[in-house]
Amino acid sequence: MIMRIVVANALFAGLASAASAHAFLERASPSAGENLRASPARIVLHFSEALEASFSDVRVTDKNGRDMAAGPSLAYGTEMDLPLKTLLPGRYRVSWHAVSVDTHRTEGKYNFLVLP
Amino acid sequence: MFCFSLRLRIAALAALAAFPQFAHAHGIVGARFFSATITSDDPFAADELALPTISLGNHEEDYEFEYTKSIVPRFSVSFGGGYVDSHPPGEARAAGWENLEITPTWQFVTDADGEFVVSAAFSVEIGGSGSAAVADRFTTFTPKLLFGKGFGDLPDSMALVRPFALTGVIGYAIPGTSTASRAIEWSGAFEYSLLYLQNNVRDVGLSNTLARLTPVVEYSFTSPTDAGGTTGTIDPGLIWSGQYVQFAAEAIIPVNRASGDTLGVRMQLHFYLDDIFPQSIGAPIFGSRP
Repeated sequence: MIMRIVVANALFAGLASAASAHAFLERASPSAGENLRASPARIVLHFSEALEASFSDVRVTDKNGRDMAAGPSLAYGTEMDLPLKTLLPGRYRVSWHAVSVDTHRTEGKYNFLVLP
Repeated sequence: MFCFSLRLRIAALAALAAFPQFAHAHGIVGARFFSATITSDDPFAADELALPTISLGNHEEDYEFEYTKSIVPRFSVSFGGGYVDSHPPGEARAAGWENLEITPTWQFVTDADGEFVVSAAFSVEIGGSGSAAVADRFTTFTPKLLFGKGFGDLPDSMALVRPFALTGVIGYAIPGTSTASRAIEWSGAFEYSLLYLQNNVRDVGLSNTLARLTPVVEYSFTSPTDAGGTTGTIDPGLIWSGQYVQFAAEAIIPVNRASGDTLGVRMQLHFYLDDIFPQSIGAPIFGSRP
């Protein structure tokens, strides 16, 4: 019986290698909780899966909720990119949502700090 | 084949454009990903397969499975069962198949901002569907309420507590015979998501592999309402959640003598069918994926 389970699981694992899945955030710059000494020029997010550009977006806002984007966000492959205005010292919030190519949706939010 | 797949993808994206709120799946609510727990039911109505779940300890080995199929978005039916080999000291060995258990689940609250989900379920353990040596001959009905809550809405001063999440299940087991006691069944899990810590609170430099680990403590208790005391276990362990599968291992610690006299271990391999087969058996039979 255990042999059958092993074979069935190997079959599933093989099929899984051909599929796509939820796009989880793998790294970001600036990253969650990061303290920066200077204003970043842009925010770049890297995901575990390729993204659907039309349904994926990232925003950066200041403590008053003002949008700090200097242009539209761009999603390509597994990355999302947003150019930023010059950020004054303070706390900023990053909010993103991503739709992978198989239409699964994920989202997240985090803060980073620009030091005086 | 390629054209068919492309057409399905275009149709799915069109549905997404029309109904953008229909876009989450297994264990995800807002920014929170709940790992599938292995001792207690998780509160999500999603396409999943747990095969196998192996429990060793307390003079017994269990080999179990559970397959969950979404019928419409946020409504699923699961089928569970397994093989038991029991050999308590001083008693005759008993081995055979457990009864089949069927559980419809309706996920009726999903609050993305609050990372909060509530579901109602109704388990039916079909009496006589398993081996007479180990399974009851009567049917047991268990209505249940399930919830999951992430703590991501805590203030900045408590940021390191945000990765915590709590799940819980409370059910009332009603056996179809007067000779067995009714019982309150309560279980759940307290978990700390390293993925949530890394991505939503503070980048502590974990690798992508390590960040997918979730330390968890599960609990599972049965409190008979007619006679007898509460029995149960506390199960600390680790869950590793990949893109398509998760692995989990937990210790089984009986809370009192009536619950067992040895430590045990439980392990599970769990497949996220909605990720493996997003356009076929991993999608609801009717309607768009939730």
